[in-house]
Amino acid sequence: MSVVNYGYAVWAPLVWIVALVVIGIMVLIWRSRGQKSYKKGTAQTDVFLSGTKVPPEEQRHVKSENIYWGFFESLKELYSGMMKPHTGIVNDYLMWFVAILAITVVILVVAG
Amino acid sequence: MNLKVFNRALWVYHLNTGSCNGCDIEILAVLTPRYDVERFGIRLVGSPRHADVLLVTGPVARSMEDSVRRIYAQVPDPKVVIVVGNCGAEGDVFHEAYSLIGPIDQIIPVDVYVPGCPPRPEAIIHGVVMAWVKLEKMVKQEVA
Repeated sequence: MSVVNYGYAVWAPLVWIVALVVIGIMVLIWRSRGQKSYKKGTAQTDVFLSGTKVPPEEQRHVKSENIYWGFFESLKELYSGMMKPHTGIVNDYLMWFVAILAITVVILVVAG
Repeated sequence: MNLKVFNRALWVYHLNTGSCNGCDIEILAVLTPRYDVERFGIRLVGSPRHADVLLVTGPVARSMEDSVRRIYAQVPDPKVVIVVGNCGAEGDVFHEAYSLIGPIDQIIPVDVYVPGCPPRPEAIIHGVVMAWVKLEKMVKQEVA
């Protein structure tokens, strides 16, 4: 296998593979020394949430949209206003298209 | 005391079910340099899943019932339960309060009672040692 020498660092795939294997073996040894008396499928293997009921797994993860919570919250009024014209009906969208086109044409004619 | 089977450190999860904090302060005193039970391997842990002992204080407020049952179920076997203080043992001055569902042994099985309001740190240490001995017997039975 090729060893790449950058001058200040060395990239040797074999060293990485050996290191990963050694770390993997150490993790397996560490894991095998863990508590074995847990009863699988009982509360003993459930997530501990300070004694509160654990929600189903699909409800437990943090959605990506949660990152934008503050953004949505501060622009709530804008979004609620913008959502009204977005009816999902093609006729409404075409009506908006024609109206905006007419206004643009009027502006161009008056300005021209 | 000669521990042969359960000869590892004793990890304890502390559960407050509505205590006035008097017992909790004494439990903390047990960990301070004056008593320093950590030198014997006795330490508080942050999850019942890591614990050998469930140490409960307080008279069990009605809203805590589910949590007490759930936390007890989450402690791996073999496990023992210690009740510290009169409130958890028999309700003390709150025994007729409408908002309580305790004492604790009405909800989960209790192995060691440490009475007092609050009990002294020496009494708590004695209770923990009794729990340790009980664990030793339980593990011995499991092995046999």
